Amino acid sequence: MNDDDLWLDALLDDELDAAASLALQRRIAAEPALQRRLDDRRALREAIRGQATRHAAPDALRANLLAMLPAQADASAHAHATAEAGAGARPGNAATGAGAVADPRAWLERRGARAGARRRMALPWATGLGGALFASVLTLAIVAPGTLGWHRGEAMATLQTAEASEAVSAHTRALLVDHPIEVASSDQHTVRPWLSARLNFVPPVTDFAPQGYALVGARRDVLSGETAAALVYRHGAHVISVFVRPVDPTATRAAEATRVVRGFNVIERTRGGLAFCFVSDANPHELRTLADLVAPLADG
Amino acid sequence: MEDGQGRFAASVLPHLDAAYNLARWLVRDAHDAQDVVQDALVRALRHFDGFRGGDPRPWLLAIVRNAAFAWLGSRRSGEVDFADHEHELDAVLALDAPPSDPESLAIRRAERQEIDAAIAALPIAFREAVVLRELEELSYRDIARITDVPIGTVMSRLSRGRHLLAAALRPEAARNLA
Repeated sequence: MNDDDLWLDALLDDELDAAASLALQRRIAAEPALQRRLDDRRALREAIRGQATRHAAPDALRANLLAMLPAQADASAHAHATAEAGAGARPGNAATGAGAVADPRAWLERRGARAGARRRMALPWATGLGGALFASVLTLAIVAPGTLGWHRGEAMATLQTAEASEAVSAHTRALLVDHPIEVASSDQHTVRPWLSARLNFVPPVTDFAPQGYALVGARRDVLSGETAAALVYRHGAHVISVFVRPVDPTATRAAEATRVVRGFNVIERTRGGLAFCFVSDANPHELRTLADLVAPLADG
Repeated sequence: MEDGQGRFAASVLPHLDAAYNLARWLVRDAHDAQDVVQDALVRALRHFDGFRGGDPRPWLLAIVRNAAFAWLGSRRSGEVDFADHEHELDAVLALDAPPSDPESLAIRRAERQEIDAAIAALPIAFREAVVLRELEELSYRDIARITDVPIGTVMSRLSRGRHLLAAALRPEAARNLA
């Protein structure tokens, strides 16, 4: 399992926008191994779609549905009448006056609003194609403690590389289909309580708009199987996300590590019992500037 | 209510096969699947008054899915706790990385029965993603709504599900079984 499988699946599923799809197809043309994997995935899909059983509803079920309609409709109407008599009609359902039930459309809209309102974003590596057209993104991650065994010092370098890789995956996966903000606000006093209500730790949340790094919002993400928080910043045309998580304060951990993972610049810092991971396809200096704002190194 | 009934029938009847198919794959029993769909239809009708547009299919399938999980939860509580184990499965999958020999990755020409068995053997979170995508051909966004997880999770579940299916249908897997 790796990110390439996600991209290839998304390509097969026609979930990539035109630019991302083109960029991936160019990569596939250049890498025969990718082409083979795409072929395998396509063969698998054809086997499933061609062979797997799509169970048809039994006639009895269809008949039962038709038979149940009048009785249920009466019962339903009765339930509404009772509820309305008891509690009064709720506003907002004027057309049918159905006060007692949830509005499924509102339910769908509520759930779909965040996703539906935003257009898809291009794959990060598609920026190579369009340059300034696409926002580049930095991500800093916070994950709950304990999963990767950071206490084992000798394995630390490898583990931190795995973390960086996973942070890049989370970041790019989130960008693939949608801009991943669960709470959209530039107000740190909105974002911070939202996160602290959903996580077992409180990440630092500060808007750095005066310095050119505006807080856009935040989301939860999953890194190393643990729920993390990701803050999303914008810097000029660039979007920046930041992952933060608590770590064992007694663990041996580099104060800072910098690397490039699949074309993304990654800066990891550990400070005050929190591990920060900045992921970006923007330039390293801009990334470091935000890192210095969010998690300044102790002695500069 | 004549009008509402007609509208309900017009919205739901075309998707009865999809509803039953999802329930059938989730509970893996024909009789239980009928009960689940029946239960879901009752719930759907009760909540239908406010439904005045949009695509009724994801809406209906979400109700079916919830009914199926409620059914599973009351009988086989182990199955729906899957999310807790999802990460452990990741570790297993990491060990089971595809071999470098591309030939061994080829999907064998599998019979319907084998493919059905491979899908049925998937952990439920992967199974529902694969069924909704491959058999119902729903978008990632609709699958995310129906299964109540972020789109990123849909993507990774789908990808892992396919990875497991590919492994199950690989030629050497068949030889091992034989």
